Formats: sequence, structure tokens, C-alpha cells
Amino acid sequence: MDYVELSFKLNDQDISIEVLPDALLVDVIRENVGLTGTKIGCRAGECGACTILLDGVPVNACLLPALKATGCSVVTIEGLAKGDEQLDVIQESFMNEGAVQCGFCTPGMIMNAKDLLNREPDPSEHDIKHAISGVLCRCTGYNKIVHAIKTASQAKK
Amino acid sequence: MKEDTKAKKEVRVMTKEKVDIQEMFSVPEADLSVAGQSIVRTDARQKVTGALKFCGDFAVDGYLHGKILRSPHPHALIKSIDTKKAESMPGVVAVLTAEDVPGRNGFGPIIPDQPVICGDKVRFVGDGVALVAAETELAAQQALEHIKVEYEILPAVFDPLEALEQDAPQIHEGGNLLSKNKLRKGDVEKGFAEADVVIQRVYRVPFLDHAYMEPDVVLAVPQPDGTMLVEGPMQAPFTTRRNINEVLGVPINKVRVRQVTMGGGFGGKEDSPIDLGCRAAVLARHTGKPVRLALEREEVMLQTCKRHPMVMHVKIGAKNDGTLMAFEGVIYDEQGAYASLGPLIPPAGGSHVHSMVMMPGPYEIPNAKVDAYLCYTNHPYGGAMRGFGAPQVHIAHEQAIDELAEKLGISPLDIRRINGFRLGSATATGQVLDQSVGLQDTLEACAEAFNWDQKYKETGFIDESKTKRKGIGVGMGWYRTSIGISGDGCGANVHVHEDGSVLLFTGITEMGQGSYTVLPQICAEELGVNLEDIKYVVPDTDIVPESGPTVGSRSTTVAGNAIIMAAKQVKESILDAASEMLNVPVDRLESRNRLIFDRDNPVVSILFQDAAMKCYKTGRRLIGQGWWTPPKSSLDPETGQGSPYHVYTFSTHMAETIVDIETGEVEITDFVAAFDIGRAINPKLVEGQIEGGVAMGLGYALMENVVIEKGYIQNLGLENYLIPTSLDVPNIKSIILEVKNKYGPYGAKGIGEMPNIPATPAILNAIANTCGARVRSLPADPEGVFWALREAGEQSE
Repeated sequence: MDYVELSFKLNDQDISIEVLPDALLVDVIRENVGLTGTKIGCRAGECGACTILLDGVPVNACLLPALKATGCSVVTIEGLAKGDEQLDVIQESFMNEGAVQCGFCTPGMIMNAKDLLNREPDPSEHDIKHAISGVLCRCTGYNKIVHAIKTASQAKK
Repeated sequence: MKEDTKAKKEVRVMTKEKVDIQEMFSVPEADLSVAGQSIVRTDARQKVTGALKFCGDFAVDGYLHGKILRSPHPHALIKSIDTKKAESMPGVVAVLTAEDVPGRNGFGPIIPDQPVICGDKVRFVGDGVALVAAETELAAQQALEHIKVEYEILPAVFDPLEALEQDAPQIHEGGNLLSKNKLRKGDVEKGFAEADVVIQRVYRVPFLDHAYMEPDVVLAVPQPDGTMLVEGPMQAPFTTRRNINEVLGVPINKVRVRQVTMGGGFGGKEDSPIDLGCRAAVLARHTGKPVRLALEREEVMLQTCKRHPMVMHVKIGAKNDGTLMAFEGVIYDEQGAYASLGPLIPPAGGSHVHSMVMMPGPYEIPNAKVDAYLCYTNHPYGGAMRGFGAPQVHIAHEQAIDELAEKLGISPLDIRRINGFRLGSATATGQVLDQSVGLQDTLEACAEAFNWDQKYKETGFIDESKTKRKGIGVGMGWYRTSIGISGDGCGANVHVHEDGSVLLFTGITEMGQGSYTVLPQICAEELGVNLEDIKYVVPDTDIVPESGPTVGSRSTTVAGNAIIMAAKQVKESILDAASEMLNVPVDRLESRNRLIFDRDNPVVSILFQDAAMKCYKTGRRLIGQGWWTPPKSSLDPETGQGSPYHVYTFSTHMAETIVDIETGEVEITDFVAAFDIGRAINPKLVEGQIEGGVAMGLGYALMENVVIEKGYIQNLGLENYLIPTSLDVPNIKSIILEVKNKYGPYGAKGIGEMPNIPATPAILNAIANTCGARVRSLPADPEGVFWALREAGEQSE
């Protein structure tokens, strides 16, 4: 297979790289670009650890052919904080509310939470549980994650 | 200077009394300023920003990629292997078979019975028969397809009871019975004769997968001096090292194992890094190049250990007033193809003997008998999974005691109040619980928070159409701290530097539970500095002291004590220097929050770092070394009597369920879990363990099941192997009680495993209370509940 050019916006930066036509977005982000915050837990779209925002919509990057991102804006976990110091309010909340244990699902959880709070600034508990139901967590039992997202929504006001 | 004065006023002044050795780790509540606090975990920031690198995130330019050719048969002889074609493929660097293993061709945490590369025989679908290293993962994968293996298929056995039959296929040379353990207390025949009501039941539990989110990966990197460096997410770096060195045929000090932050382990990553570490090291040794061996999700489920399935027979009898008279249990514990963590490490280590010890439950029973058989089969193998043989037997005893209570017409709480352990109770192994026994406190606290009495009256249909019923259930539990082997020691080193900053070294690993926060909290508390002054050195067997594995809910207690001992050693120098500087006798000095002050006159003080500098300049010792071994474990091999584990955590869980009696669907609508954990070093992290554990126990109760047909796993992915999602887990109310453990740091006991244990039977008991369906063969998925409902209906007709 011949390499083809892929151009897209990644965390507000223009990216243009050569990829194989069958490359998956998750591998391009992790291996070609070197941003490893996006995790791979199953490569089957089941665990949600690889969730990124594609033009603002949460997507399992392990299922998405990279070329589908052509011309799109992709945001990963590395794109949420402003500089080294100012974390996103959701990131702060995950830290402070004890919503992180092993941390493997955390990027996927936070990306889904980001999408939710973009759409719905004042989500109910059910909204939150529904929004993160595509991301599996084996450590936390989800309680503190739900609470962290609720807290973040209140802090945003 | 003004700031110093202000700091002094905030310091609480207290007197530490001289204490004997047993109480050296327990201090009054008011004394603590870092331990006991819900401090944000030290790795949280790296984890929320995506900056933290897991092993799969490391750049591996110049690495070879390893792949394992696995057996397609559950039981077969290997007649021949032809690797020629695979070897000649582009990018392939090595194709290895059994004769290429340089040292011992076997690994295992207890018995090295699993071949690194199978030579003559395969024993389960997933056994490794050849290893490939290639320049790309794809080339390695393609090479696998061109290795020709000729097998002679052998009859296989898939059931522990069938494995014990005389003419059963023999899986290993020593026969299929890997271990038989016995527990004998009193006279059960007499006990049953004296009982007014006796019931007999059989409970079955399936294989479970850990389903940690991070798939396994290790890196093996040959070093110029001949050392083999192996890196990966590991719960047991030292056990991994002592397997790799035997497999390579080199001394222990020629293998260096470095831990990488783990994306969940739950016991599974005690075993799997040994497997992957040995195989990657053999490939790296053979090629002289660094090798990455990573598993895809399906490979993780195919290859790595599982929670042991069991068939459990229970006979239990009581007087009409509810007093338990006798308990008799038989466990058919399926080990699968390899020994893993099943067999006995004397006196009371290994999951099988642990199941036996725990089986009669947290109840005083004068007469008890358990026979436990651990059997090889041609299935995947059972290993450690959060509770190490205890979750299974809790499902048996907690359901049995509810079934017995129902027959007696006694409430589920009263039968537990009557028989549950209290201070001074003797266990089924004859161990007298002489300290830190808060079981009854957890029952009462849980019942109050759950509003049990009110809810108990309100069970029944909740809708007009009479399809949904509501009910409640309780589960009680106990779990050991530490692992019951005579070699359960743990080391810790504390290095204080002249600027007051500290390095803390132990071999306890981080899998999400928070050891990199809790252990530094203990260190900071003991030295009298702040948490941010401590840097926890990531475990590396070349650098940290032997600490044993990060298992058995042992880390906080066992390593915590070693850390306190190490810190005390350095503190001696610090206080000696401070005494000279302040002209105050050492026994009047207190070290707290970076300040050393005169207890009688707190204004007289210096900074911790100034005392450290003084030590440095005057040649005082700034390195502390601690070593702690739990009190001696004992268990008689003939009678199963003794004191196998030195202290236990206790717990009661209560669940409210709604069952749709037409579909068998179960919803959990309320959950309270209460624990006596001695002392919470970081309460928020303890809550995290509780909530995550309850969710895991919920999965065991309602959905999880590794389905295996004739040796082949049918649900190899997370799309078919279901674990709880955010929509399945209810809001969990955690209650933490602290009945101090005299052997624990500040009174602490273990918490990692306990929470997932009583959760499962609490839910199963709730289902039974809700709709009469007693699910004795897990999981209680809609189909399981449906059949149990039908069985209950037939019985009542």
C-alpha cells in the first residue's frame, strides 16, 4: 500500500502527515504524532479508553480510519489543559474528587465528560451516567467519576 | 521568622507514651497530621492530563516485536514443529521452540509447571508452542501462520470432578489432584445430631476474567553487562525476577525487573508478567535485541489467569434459636491447566487453602469440617483475583446462612448477630480473635444507614401490573491482611537528604489502589514532614529492597510498618542533631509538618531541613532501613487448625434490588457497605477501593462469566465478556469503621480485596428476598434468575 497524506487539526495545531490508507486514527495519534494520552484497551470500540473529540463529537479512535479525520478538528486529552498550569475544570475535578485510580480509562472518561458539559452545562445524574456508559472502568465503580463530572458542571457556572 | 512562629501555634502538642513492640505502630488519633487525611493522590495530575506513560505508551524504536504461537487444542501431544518457512520470512529475526529456552523451561509463582515454550505437550487452548521475534508486529503475526505444528490430540477433561475419576486423562505427571486440604474442628456428626434444622446446598461459580483495562505488555532489554532488564506493569516484581533468572539460567542479580505504572491488576498481574516476562526475556536473550511483547485484548483473555471456578457443597445446621452447631463443606476447586497461585505455600499460602480456611464464614461454629480438592483440567488456569479464593466461598456460606435462617424463621440479620464473630471468638481453624474485631459494628452501622428494618417490611410488588418486585439482602465477610506464608517479610528504605527532601524505596507497586500516595503518607507522618517532601521511588529490583508481592491486601500494613521502622531509624539522627541545636533533650522533641520543636515549649523549634543539614555535616546517619514480618502464621496440614493470618478486615453489605419477574432482569437500587479496616490512612482512597470493589462484586453476581465450550473460550472480548458499566452500578454508601489493629501502621488493616467479597452474596440474597429466586449457579443474569424463579415456583406449588 502507498502512503497518502492526511491533514487535520490536532489540539488546535495543523498536522499533515503521511499515513497508510488503512491506518486507524488512534495509531496515528499515538505513534505518528506521539501523543499517548489516548489509550488502547480493546481495539473493538468496547472500552472507550481511546475516546477523542472529532469536530466536537466523542468517537472511539480505535474504530476510525485516520483518513476520516481529513480536514477535521481532533481534540485529545492532551488538548484540554491550557499550557502546563491551567487544567480544564473537569481534570481538576477528577483529581480532587478521587475519580482517578489506575488512570487507564481516565482520558476516555474526561473526553466524554467534556462533550457532555459542552452540550449540557447542567446535567442530571442520569445524563452523566449515560454519557460515560461507553467507557469501561474496572477500578472506581463509577461513583466518584459521576460525582466529579457533577462537581465540574457546578464549578463551570 | 514570623512565619515560623505562626506555624508553631498551629502545631498540636501531644505526648507519645512509651509503647511495647506490639503497639509500636499505634498512636492516638490526635497525633496524625498526614496519615489519616484524604490527600489527593500523588499521580492524579499526570493521569488526568494524559502525561503519565503506561508501558504500552513507551516509544520502542529499535525493538523487536514478540508474538506467541498458541495451541489450538485443549490437550495434545506435539509430534513435530517446522519453523523453517516462518524463519525465512522478511523481517523475522527468530522463531524459538522448547529447546531454545536457555535454562528451566517452566515458570509459575508457586510451582514452575507451565512451559515457557511447550515441548512435548499442550494442556489448554492458549498454551505457547513457539515464540517469534520480528521487526514489526505484523511480520511477527504473519510468521505465526507459517509455523507448522503436528499434534496428536489427547482426550481432555473440563470438569474438576471428572478430573478426579480414575480413568480421567492425566494432565500432569503427578495426577490431576494438585492439592487436597482438610479442616477439622470438633465433631460435625455430633453437631448435626444436636441441630434442630440442617440444610444441604450446592453452589457453583464460573471462571471470571479480571478485565483490567490495560492489556498486558512487557519490554525485555539486554544490558551491556549481561543483565536482562524487564519492564512492565507488575504486582510481583520479585516473583517475576526469580522466574526469569531460572528460565535464563543466570543468577538473580543478572535480572533487573522494573515496574511501570499499572492500568489495573486485581491479582491478574501477579501472574501474567511472569509469563510474558519469561518469554520476552528468552526472545531478547536469543536475539540480543530489545523485545516488546504486548497482548491484544483477546490474547489477554485467552492466555492469562482467571478467578477459580468452584463447585461448593455446604451442609449447615443450627438450633431453633439460631445457634450454629455444625458446618460441613466440600470444595471442588478447578485449577485449570497450570498450578499458578492455587497450591499450598506452607503454612497457609496459596488460594486453595485460603478458600478452605474462609469457607465456614465469619461465624463461631463449634464443629466444622471442610474437604478441599484442587484439580487440574484442560481449561485456562485459575490465579489470584481480588479475594484469592474468598469471594467464591462467601457466595456459598452467605447464601447458605440465609437459606438456613429462612427455614428457622429468623431474620437474616439476627442469625448473623447470634453467630457472627466478636472479640474473643474462635474461627473454624481455632484461631481466637483477640483484637480488632469490628464485624458486629459493621452490621449495625450498615443496617442503620440502609434503614434495613423499614425496608424489610416493604418488600413485594411495586407496580400495578405486578411484574416488578422489590427486596433486600445482606452479605457479611472477612478477609485477611497479608498472605499466610512464613516468608511474608517486607523491606523499606528511607533516605533523607540535607535539604529535608526524602526518597522512599519499597517494592510495593501501584496498580490504581494508591500505594504511591498512602505509603508516602505514612513515611511523611513518621518523619514529621509533608507529603510533597517524599518521592516514592518506582520499584526496581536493582534498587528497592525485597518487599514481597503487592497482593493479599498487605501493602499498607506490611510495607507501612517497614516504612515506619526505617523512618524511625533516620529520625533518631534528626532528633539527635536537633537536640544539640536546640539544647533540648531528645525525649522532649517532636517532629511535625517540617518542624522540630520542644513539646514542653513549642516556641523552641527548628526546621526539619536544618536538622537534616546538621546530620549531613556531622556525619550522622540519614539512611533508614526497615524490615517487618507479620506474626508467625500456622496451620496444621492434617486438621487445618491454627492461626493462618494475623488479622482480618470485616464487612457487611446490604443491597436493595428490583427484579422484573417476567424477564429476570435485576436492578440494584440501593447499596450500603460498612467496613472495619482498623484505620483509614487515606479515607478517600479507601472509599475508592470500596466503590470499585462493590462494582466488581456486582459483576460477579449479575453478569460475569467466561463461557468455555470444550476448552474454547466463547467470549474473548469485552463485547461478550460483560463487566458493569456506569448504568449498572448504583450509588454506593461507604461506611468506614476503625477498630484499631495493634499490628498495623496507626492501626490499619487491609482494604483492597474485602469490598468485592460480600457484595456478591448481598445481591444474591436480595434477589432471593425480592422474588424467591435462589440463584445457586452464577451468574444471576436474566436467564439465571428466570430459571431460579421457575424452580422456586415449582417448589411452592
